[in-house]
Amino acid sequence: MTILNELHPRPNASTRSRVAAALGHFALDQLQQVTDLYRVFRLTLHYAARGAPNRQAYMCQMYEIGNRSLAFLAVVMGFIGMISVYQGGLQTQRVVPDLSLLGATFLQLLVRDLAASICALMLATRVGAGIAAEIGSMVVTEQVDALRMCATDPIDYLIRPRFLACLSIFGALTVIAAGVAFLTGMWTAYAFFGLNPRTFANVSLVSAGDLTIGLCKCLAYGAAIPVISGYCGLTAFGGSEGVGAATTRAVVSSSLAVIVLNFVISGAGYLVFG
Amino acid sequence: MIRLTGVSKSFDRAVLTEVELYVPERCLFGMIGPGASGKSLILRAITGLLRPDRGQVTVGDQNVLAMGDLELNEFRKGIGMLFQNNALFDFMTVAENIAFPLRRLFDLSETEIAARVAERLARVDLPGFQDRLPAGLSGGQKKRIGVARATVTRAPIVLYDEPSAGLDPVTSQKIFDLLRAEQRASGSTVIMVSSDLDRLLTVTDRVGMMLEGRMIFEGSTDELENASDPRVHQFVHGALDGPL
Repeated sequence: MTILNELHPRPNASTRSRVAAALGHFALDQLQQVTDLYRVFRLTLHYAARGAPNRQAYMCQMYEIGNRSLAFLAVVMGFIGMISVYQGGLQTQRVVPDLSLLGATFLQLLVRDLAASICALMLATRVGAGIAAEIGSMVVTEQVDALRMCATDPIDYLIRPRFLACLSIFGALTVIAAGVAFLTGMWTAYAFFGLNPRTFANVSLVSAGDLTIGLCKCLAYGAAIPVISGYCGLTAFGGSEGVGAATTRAVVSSSLAVIVLNFVISGAGYLVFG
Repeated sequence: MIRLTGVSKSFDRAVLTEVELYVPERCLFGMIGPGASGKSLILRAITGLLRPDRGQVTVGDQNVLAMGDLELNEFRKGIGMLFQNNALFDFMTVAENIAFPLRRLFDLSETEIAARVAERLARVDLPGFQDRLPAGLSGGQKKRIGVARATVTRAPIVLYDEPSAGLDPVTSQKIFDLLRAEQRASGSTVIMVSSDLDRLLTVTDRVGMMLEGRMIFEGSTDELENASDPRVHQFVHGALDGPL
């Protein structure tokens, strides 16, 4: 026992208190970040409620977030559609030989979950990183302070147009991306399982509840990505290293938020709609 | 009038300690000191961009630390600021940069804004630069655009943070002369932070010296030259031997 204690000395009181202090510090730091993020979200909503921002800035963000993400999302969702239908078909064939509901099930999955969530994860990497890098570099070059000196809240001037643009364009992007995934899935079902496209294009399983859940996810993701990324940009400090760290935080936090929101909305959806 | 009383601020360590400062109206006040001594933080405290942990910041009869966000926005209408790195908005043209405070703070017609921008550009010796982007300007040109933006609102208080940083001696002297002329023409209260001591002292009325977050000297330019504090004496005369 004595030998064991010598090999693995038990932590004394001061070590334990240091660990407790570090944990407490970490918890307080995280709580402060959540509080600050909530404040940014609340102010963004407050400014958004006052109406559309500068039309030029809004259109510019619509183009940046919407048009410039479209090809990327279409390619990603095209492959997701092919992979999902191929794997789904193989798995189904192991249990039952009938694939007539493959398209209907895949469409329900797309509408209810897959299209919005995959699009959001992809936008978190492309758009979230861009927002954090842009705002973060403005912070470290004092441009955000210059905005404040002109009585301009950076949340109003920088985050609001991105928030409104992302919120309004995200649904359209998801519909287009889901359409691409469904078409590539239909082609895969025909090419690999000989499934007639008319049989595949079956909307019988998609209910109003599925559409509502999908729409809720679009709104939640469309709001979360620009707010979280903008917050990460605004809290950047230091030089280019700080901007890099803010960008990484934006992608990680936005992706995490998408996963958590997906869980919450899906859970609520199953409780409400079954 | 700008007054700081017992202003202290700490991050990981104390960066401002019991700072006392008084800048009378219409004074051109120079602030000197070694790097990281807290000079820029003083400017940020005056504008409300930095909230001290303790002390009082008074501008005119207004207590800056007691202001909320809306009051600060209103208060900042009366302050022009040139940032150390110019802080020009890189996605805007030169004209848009200079016009930005006018558009955000005042209700002016586009014709009036364009005229004010052209007048400022002529004043900083860069006429016709309206449509250029900051990325295509030299360091001296950016600095002058920054000066034009800081002074375009004709604010009663103007703060310049390192107006000659990174500039050659001739351009530096031009900038200092320009700032002095601007201050005389407008009658504004100016605080100018600079490491370019020789040129700074040719234009200032009063000077303060910061060291390790403390204001260790405040007085006229003549008093600075003859300061008895060995630290001030060493810094002003650039001596290698001494307490610094």
